Amino acid sequence: MINLKINGIDVSVDRGTTLLEAAQFLGLPISTLCHMEGLTPYGACRLCVVEVGDPPNSRLVTSCTYPAEEGLKVRTASARVLRARKMIVELLLASCPQSKTIQDIAAALNVRQQRFRQENEDCILCGRCVRMCAEQMVAGAIGFTGRGQDRSIGTPFDSNSEVCRLCGACMYVCPVCELRCTYNEPEKAICGGCANLAPPCVDKPQFDDMMCYMQPCVACEIKKD
Amino acid sequence: MRKLQSLDDLIGFRERVSAEKDLKTETPTLVVSAGTCGQASGANDIMRIIKRHILKENLGDKIELRITGCHGFCQVEPFILVEPQLHLYPQLKMEDVPRVIEAVLGGYVEEDLIYTEPQVGTKFHSQSDIPFFKKQTRTILGSNQMLDPIRIFNYFERDGYAALEKVLSKADPEWIIEEIKSSGLRGRGGAGFPAGRKWELARASGDDHQPKFVVCNCDEGDPGAYMDRSLLEGNPHSILEGMIIAGIAIGAAHGIIYVRGEYPLAIKHTMIALRQARELGLLGDDILGTGNDFEIEIVRGAGAFVCGEETALIRSVEGFMGEPKQRPPYPIERGIDGFPTCINNVETLANIRIIINSGAAEYAKVGVPGNTGTKIFSLVGKIRDTGLVEVPLGMTIGEVVHDIGGGPPGKARIKAVQTGGPSGGCIPAEHFDLPVDFDSLREAGSIMGSGGMIVMDEDTCMVDVAKYFMGFLKDESCGKCFTCRKGTQRMHEILEDITEGRGTLDQLTLLEELAVVVRDTSMCGLGQSAANPVLSTLRYFRNEYERHIVDKRCDAFVCKDLVGPPCQAACPVGTEAWRYVAHIARGEYEDAYRVIREANPFPSVCARACDHTCEQRCRAGTSGGDPIAIRALKRFITDRIEPSVYIPVRHEWQEGEPPKVAVVGAGPAGLTTAHFLSLEGYRVTVFEAEPEPGGMLFCAIPEYRLPRDVIKKEIDSLLDDNITVVCNTSLGDDITVDGLFDDGFSAVLLALGAHKSRPLGLDNEDVPGVYPSIEFLKAFNLKSEQLAKGRVGVIGGGNSAIDAARTALRQRDVESVTILYRRTRAEMPAFEEEVEAAIEEGVTIETLVSPTEIKTTSGLFSHLGCVRNSLGEPDSSGRRRPVRIEGSEHVIELDTLIVAISEDSGVDSITPARSGGIEVTDWNTVKADARTLLTSRSGVFAAGDVVTGPNTIIDAIADGKKAAVMIDHFVRGEELVQPVKSLMPTVHLDPVEVDPEEAPDDRVETPRASIEWRKRNFAEVEVGLSMQEATREARRCLRCDLEFVERTAPDVRAAGGHAE
Ligand code: SF4
Ligand code: SF4
Ligand code: SF4
Ligand code: FES
Repeated sequence: MINLKINGIDVSVDRGTTLLEAAQFLGLPISTLCHMEGLTPYGACRLCVVEVGDPPNSRLVTSCTYPAEEGLKVRTASARVLRARKMIVELLLASCPQSKTIQDIAAALNVRQQRFRQENEDCILCGRCVRMCAEQMVAGAIGFTGRGQDRSIGTPFDSNSEVCRLCGACMYVCPVCELRCTYNEPEKAICGGCANLAPPCVDKPQFDDMMCYMQPCVACEIKKD
Repeated sequence: MRKLQSLDDLIGFRERVSAEKDLKTETPTLVVSAGTCGQASGANDIMRIIKRHILKENLGDKIELRITGCHGFCQVEPFILVEPQLHLYPQLKMEDVPRVIEAVLGGYVEEDLIYTEPQVGTKFHSQSDIPFFKKQTRTILGSNQMLDPIRIFNYFERDGYAALEKVLSKADPEWIIEEIKSSGLRGRGGAGFPAGRKWELARASGDDHQPKFVVCNCDEGDPGAYMDRSLLEGNPHSILEGMIIAGIAIGAAHGIIYVRGEYPLAIKHTMIALRQARELGLLGDDILGTGNDFEIEIVRGAGAFVCGEETALIRSVEGFMGEPKQRPPYPIERGIDGFPTCINNVETLANIRIIINSGAAEYAKVGVPGNTGTKIFSLVGKIRDTGLVEVPLGMTIGEVVHDIGGGPPGKARIKAVQTGGPSGGCIPAEHFDLPVDFDSLREAGSIMGSGGMIVMDEDTCMVDVAKYFMGFLKDESCGKCFTCRKGTQRMHEILEDITEGRGTLDQLTLLEELAVVVRDTSMCGLGQSAANPVLSTLRYFRNEYERHIVDKRCDAFVCKDLVGPPCQAACPVGTEAWRYVAHIARGEYEDAYRVIREANPFPSVCARACDHTCEQRCRAGTSGGDPIAIRALKRFITDRIEPSVYIPVRHEWQEGEPPKVAVVGAGPAGLTTAHFLSLEGYRVTVFEAEPEPGGMLFCAIPEYRLPRDVIKKEIDSLLDDNITVVCNTSLGDDITVDGLFDDGFSAVLLALGAHKSRPLGLDNEDVPGVYPSIEFLKAFNLKSEQLAKGRVGVIGGGNSAIDAARTALRQRDVESVTILYRRTRAEMPAFEEEVEAAIEEGVTIETLVSPTEIKTTSGLFSHLGCVRNSLGEPDSSGRRRPVRIEGSEHVIELDTLIVAISEDSGVDSITPARSGGIEVTDWNTVKADARTLLTSRSGVFAAGDVVTGPNTIIDAIADGKKAAVMIDHFVRGEELVQPVKSLMPTVHLDPVEVDPEEAPDDRVETPRASIEWRKRNFAEVEVGLSMQEATREARRCLRCDLEFVERTAPDVRAAGGHAE
């Protein structure tokens, strides 16, 4: 057993347990995005960062990949952690505002607007699909290609995959291209709105049944051009 | 080669090699460095010629040739170094080679070809005296010169494999680790983790049955850093030796050299070295019968920057995409294929044999505690001597930059160095006393990285630098971590906005917040340090960011969208030089005049006496050729066109009685303000202490540069019904600030100029024969008194010193004129062309001398005691301080001494200002806010030399224009801000088609009166251009404005324009 302290609480876990699992065991909430039960932790989205060690020598690590270490001191909601998480959410919103998952995470962290130039991408490269395909579907049809700006998900050489069974598991686990809130096309909306939010677009009649928390309501703007 | 079977074999073999070496007589040896850099600059040709020459002349036994790897002084390649005397013949051409060989045979030095220090001109006969080499400690790099990398015997002659011999004799791995630990060696790859500790962990890691790996990391990705390549290329056996010793120490049998595919020569030399070592039995199973197995293979990387990161490198070796992994587990525990892996940088491994051979204690004497040994840096950028330099850790940045690098190559000041490659940071010149070691650099916000040092000067824009590195990082991030991938893209995006003029202060805050988060949340070293370029430039150069955002200006003239046509941006009053030059090219002279006059109320004065910053920035000049003679073209126009063709736009004051404004001082600044306020309907009264308006134009600038009637005519054209000039009225004696307010003036502008020369502070400065320069010039310019007699000395190096000297030279009883300046000609602040003209006319310039004593004979000045200086350590600005040479005191006989070290406003005019409740500085200038020109008293503004100290005319005019805007805002009760003006062209003028065959590319010579005639004469020296010359010169203009026309298309006005 390994003994560590999370937010001041002593906890003992098995060797190999991640900090995320240990925190969840204590019921401490940590937002995650690329993490998914049943898939190997990957550490791509960085949302689950926690602070380890004592300031000023403490550092942020991703709890989903970091193994519990004997005597480690962990803080899951320090100011530094929250600042980082909020910035990550802003970046996520700036890239993929339409994702219901990301919107929910933003709502939970009380992030109501993002300050970057709005983009509308359909992938955040969290790698859930890749791991799903390889680990659960045992197909390994898709993977990452390129680096930096050019990194993307695809089949080898972007040709039709022979191993892909068209099972759709990749789409199923995708936090961005999942069946999602459709804003300005209310008739297609499947989402009843996040009841816990105060959306700015409620007065618009066609949005009666749905909500969007963004200020300004960028998604609608995106569709215009 | 016979395989060595045992340790004794090795010992015997080494003894034989060194005995043979001692037998060799000292034949002169020509050393040619032919690393990748040398070959690129033509070393192969030099080698070929040498070989041919030796064969042809049958010199085989008289001269030897050695081909080596890079020595580090890459800038002088291709060169020949002659051993043993170490004559360095740099940048040789093929035809020079025989001359060098002759010299070597004849035992003399070929003076024409030997290394000469640039700028200074000193010739050095021995390489070790050259400043670039002198302060280096070339423990590692030094060997490159001594050996041919493909000859293992060369290596043995230089103690090769002696460390291995020692290690094998001890047969105690723990001892090796102890040695490395107590040597204090830290990993040279970047983070500086103690190498001994790493080995210790590696030794303890895993169990006995597990294989272990030693990896040599030669994935050198930083742009501009190439020390690893040079080491592997120039001395591969030293790396092999280091790796074998590492293998023995940690118990590993597998070695891997991970090297970039872009380094073919390094790979080739390493392969040859591996084969030789294997043949000799230094690699393989049971090395020399000692029971140690060790084999090395080469793995080529595909050139991804991130593969320099340990975990990514391991993935790459395993055959996957180079993508970092979570640590822990560390490679030491689970690396390649899950086995313990100890990764060391090339330079770290090169240090191992040094430590073992000399002993840890001896090694640790170099450098500073905690940072021992030497480190190789690649010194590049805006610096005179570039190349690889090896210095003890803990040397200051200043020593590296100034003493080894030789300081700036030109006049521009060095502003910062960037260390640590793309993810490093910038350290400003104020901090050049910072020691270069792992910890100090990190504290200063940068990193050691692999040892890149890029020197930057005033022409480097720090925002652009950050943008450049961010652009690199966003492409090189592996992309796994969302914050590193997207964060670098977003930072780049914001930096792009800022450099293109769209940035906001909110974005700057966002940039900083984001940078901190990227550093905090990224997984590997690349992401964690990716924010450094932004954070460190923000830390030290925030003002540059703000200048880009708030004022939309890039003072380094780098960010094109903020600069526009450079000539216009460089002009303090924003004259659209490109535009009037274009009009001249099209023959539209009146239009040209209007363009000039719209920006500048003193066109004819400036056409003669402006320091033309426009020409310094003219792209025709900065891109390699000669700048357009913009000032001469202005002269051409103003000589031909009457001021009356320009009719300024006037506004009547709308509500009630027009407000009154008082301007004290009728110089260029004061008159400019008066003019522009008059155009807005103000009633302006200008008070002048002298009998005539003109201020410094009259008092200080000699007639041969600026004829009096030109000044008069220009001033007359500015005066109108709204302006009253009251002469012979000085502040303090006749008027006071309080009095002016009592008389109903709404605002007061102090534009008194700088009329007092600063004294030397020596005794006897008031005796007859010693004159402050302003007094001397005024006496002549205003009253035609000729104060200079006989032998004249002028102390100073600025414009007023030159003016005084040239004026004295023209006076009746003068025999000779000598300028005495304390630094060298290169540091003289005077305009270069003025200095040249003075020399042409016969003024002598003595540099590196300071006055110490003014001696008199019967109450009259007779001798000047002087002392010689040498240039010492640079001050923080990078200019080297004059230091007195003890014992060099001497006396110069003189009849007249003119003191021109600097000017200020003098207590006579400053005291009344102070009594008016206005704060002044200790150096007799008025304190005024740089942005608003407001003094400490509300309603009182100050402009021109009274604020800045002696400055150029055009700066005074620019100040005057600004003062007019500020006073107008003040009187109207508006906020005191200068509206930001875009520098994008607003007019399109079709260029004149010139046949490219006929297009001239040389600059027109500004015609000058003959020297003999002008020496004794106060007539104007410069003569105007002819129409033909002017047209030809104007057509040389590159029309930098055209590049922007498309972008600004919507508001560009039609051609041929009348400027309202
Ligand atoms: S497609 Fe979806 S699941 Fe796959 S990496 Fe992109 S965002 Fe993640
Ligand atoms: S920090 Fe950047 S380079 Fe490093 S693993 Fe993450 S994405 Fe890749
Ligand atoms: S080439 Fe012409 S437009 Fe360009 S900077 Fe020089 S004068 Fe101005
Ligand atoms: S959930 Fe841990 S990094 Fe994405």
